[in-house]
Amino acid sequence: MEIPYQLALWGVRIAFLLVLYILLVRSFGALWRTLRTESELAARPALAYLIVQRSHATGPRVGERLPLRAASTIGRDSGNDVVINDDAASARHALIQLADGSWWIEDQGSTNGTLLNGSRLARRERIRDGDVLDVGRVALRFEATL
Amino acid sequence: MIAAGPRSRFTELGLLVWVALLILFGFIAVSGAALSAAEPAPIGITAALTPSALVIPATFVALAIALHVFLVARGFRGDQILLPLALALTAIGLVEVERLAPETLLVQQLTWTVVAAGVFVVAILWPRDLATLARYKYSWALLGLALLALPMLPVVGRDINGARIWIHLGPVSFEPLEVVKVFLVVFFAAYLEEHRELLAAPPRRFGPLRLPPIPYLLPIVLMWGLGMAVMVLQNDIGATLILFVVFVAMLYFATGRWEYSLVGLLLLLVGSWGAIEIFRHVRVRVDIWLTPFSNDLRFGPSYQLIQGLFALGNAGLIGAGLGNGMPERIPVVWSDFVFNAFTEEVGFLGALALLALYLVLVFRGMAISLRAPTPFLQLLAAGLSFTLAFQTLVIVAGNAKLIPLTGVTLPFVSYGGSSLVTNFLIIALLLRISDATARVRGGSG
Repeated sequence: MEIPYQLALWGVRIAFLLVLYILLVRSFGALWRTLRTESELAARPALAYLIVQRSHATGPRVGERLPLRAASTIGRDSGNDVVINDDAASARHALIQLADGSWWIEDQGSTNGTLLNGSRLARRERIRDGDVLDVGRVALRFEATL
Repeated sequence: MIAAGPRSRFTELGLLVWVALLILFGFIAVSGAALSAAEPAPIGITAALTPSALVIPATFVALAIALHVFLVARGFRGDQILLPLALALTAIGLVEVERLAPETLLVQQLTWTVVAAGVFVVAILWPRDLATLARYKYSWALLGLALLALPMLPVVGRDINGARIWIHLGPVSFEPLEVVKVFLVVFFAAYLEEHRELLAAPPRRFGPLRLPPIPYLLPIVLMWGLGMAVMVLQNDIGATLILFVVFVAMLYFATGRWEYSLVGLLLLLVGSWGAIEIFRHVRVRVDIWLTPFSNDLRFGPSYQLIQGLFALGNAGLIGAGLGNGMPERIPVVWSDFVFNAFTEEVGFLGALALLALYLVLVFRGMAISLRAPTPFLQLLAAGLSFTLAFQTLVIVAGNAKLIPLTGVTLPFVSYGGSSLVTNFLIIALLLRISDATARVRGGSG
């Protein structure tokens, strides 16, 4: 038996609307999943810490444990992952990141430079558990949890 | 840090399947409706499967698959939602062009889709590092201003509908303003990143009013002046509104200070008031908005808006059915009033889904911005997402007579090459930012 043409046409039109909604629900689901993974990532304990050893009046408290992510920026600006509120630190001072299974520290063109165990960083260098960083007048001990 | 091997993107592929079905059903519905008036009346629905109803969707799906395979082969780690969403909106645009002006504009729009896909690929590959964009910020600004001024030149520029915003090179015409938006957002992002700390300095008190220090208000005033110049010289209100509001929004994103938004809003109000007082064409726009049915307007300047409103009014819950309405009564429906044409035939439910697609797109863009690794990339992603959102708001609200109508395009859906190319450029940049995030932070970006 033939389906009347107009009825079939309405079937196609409803199918169009249906597909539009399936697409919407699917993309919303995908959006939801990415947001959930992100919040799970954020809830995990930090991959490493910087522990404040020496500080300055406006800087972080001595003994404070500053959590690090897979890539964390260090600097005076409040947009940094690790904020060092010290005049001698640059707005964007250094970058510390996990790559190929080890941690690396890189100076971001800061005015006063970054010291790793007392020597000034010229290029990206590996940083290990217990190493000490000097950013401005603040000294930070690196502690890896991995 | 470029990953060597291919990398699967199943979320994207899964969404693309539905995009393919969307364009297929859309084309069958439209061509089927065109046939139903034919003599003798067609018997089976298979009659609607005309070659033209299948060739265009097939070409489009092939293009979509090609873009997907390109990203997979590159080992791209960026977002997987934006590209299917952009393609779904483009598919709706193609269905509407097939519906409204198949003979004249369909092949052009499909060609522009291919060009837009090409621009997308180029923007994914180049520049290698997005930070390069920030380094040449003044070049982008100058290029943007030059492009903006191009339609004023005698040979290439031409008036269309009273606005001098097009350039013509042989058979190709282009609206530079569309691309200029992207260049200026890149410039704003780089400029604001550099001066963020100064701009976010504590505001000064003037009695009860707290204002930022005067020198830092200079850029906002300059931008306002630029917008006004665009309006005076090119009669383009939509462009003025978008450029200025995007700038004010980015200033807010960068500094978190609402005082700038307040100053921006006041400048906008003063500018609008002045424009209404001085320019006749702006005055007419406002009259059309306030009293479209008045005797001297309804068969003249406001005819288009009134027909658009009738289309919305006739839509109902599920609309007249694709191909079954009368959107061709609206003049220039495929560019200015495509939202009304779509709504008339798919109803409230369809329009709601369309707007929700934009919402997911913008939400995803803002999420990418929040996670981006540097302030420049954060501002860039937020600015680009905001541009898409604001432009959609301005045109849809104009179509529905909530605000005066300005001739901006509905992103991805309106007929028009410059708009399509620009929007795919925006999507490419957002994907790049998300990819950069995934490479630095791990995860899916």
